[in-house]
Amino acid sequence: MFDRLPLPSQFDRTIVAGGTVVALVALPVVLVLLALLFADQISAAEMVFFLAATVILAGALGSVLLPNVVHAALSLVATLLGVAGIYLLLLTEFIALVQVLVYGGGVVILLLFALMLTNVADDPVVSDGSQKPFAMIVAAIMGSLFIAVMLDAQWGNPAATLVPFSEFGARIFRDFSIPVIVVAILLDIALTGAFVNARTAEEASEPRTEEAAA
Amino acid sequence: MIPIENFLILSALLFAIGFYGVMARRSAILILMSVELMLAAVAINFIAFATYLDADAFSGLVFALFVITVAAAEVGLALGIVLRLYRERRTANVDEADSLKW
Repeated sequence: MFDRLPLPSQFDRTIVAGGTVVALVALPVVLVLLALLFADQISAAEMVFFLAATVILAGALGSVLLPNVVHAALSLVATLLGVAGIYLLLLTEFIALVQVLVYGGGVVILLLFALMLTNVADDPVVSDGSQKPFAMIVAAIMGSLFIAVMLDAQWGNPAATLVPFSEFGARIFRDFSIPVIVVAILLDIALTGAFVNARTAEEASEPRTEEAAA
Repeated sequence: MIPIENFLILSALLFAIGFYGVMARRSAILILMSVELMLAAVAINFIAFATYLDADAFSGLVFALFVITVAAAEVGLALGIVLRLYRERRTANVDEADSLKW
């Protein structure tokens, strides 16, 4: 459909098509939520929650269903930013900031680098997708089981509490100092291992040939 | 106040979608992305329980922080392995990576 539209040449057709699809999905959701808000059916916080939940679930579906791997990685960004919004709703600003910094800034860029260095494609023509229906059934059963158990449980009298931002650093290094050290060592080992693993064979064997030559 | 069930249902749906991705995708990097979705679902659960049900409201936050840290380490290490696999085999398809040594 978008191939035939008369667009100026500087408009990327993929971007226009993607933007149109996103707008067609997002507009009804926003309109329904606004209508519910003005009809006093939901509070403003709940409206923000449902907006973030829509972004999260749409991004998650995009990142497991899209055939183009870069599009999948970019919809993963939408999911992770929506999760940061959920953290803000749960009164944990620090975790939301860490989420945006580590995932939005680090992990997704790393994933995109790996995608572009390996030229990966998830092409259903190359290898068959026979496991997809079974995967869908198992995931649906698992998700509905989780939801059934959660709705069945008694949650007591929940009341929101929050840790002040200024206390967070002091408490994490006072009450959880050993786990913090363990995680630091784990990160160190993992990144060293990644570096050693990702070296090319020539780089790895270079010192040995020099020794042999000497 | 938003009921805690909303967060738990969102997290269950996100976990199920990530689980579907892990089982249905064949490229190692896309499986890794689906694992990230599952970890995010778990972190939402930790923080929802910490905020709503824990009077101290701190242990859950620390666990969520560690989940994020370990996920970052895991991605770095796994992408190193995928790059190595791609260099040796010209593929990142997990169905084809079926031998321990070659």
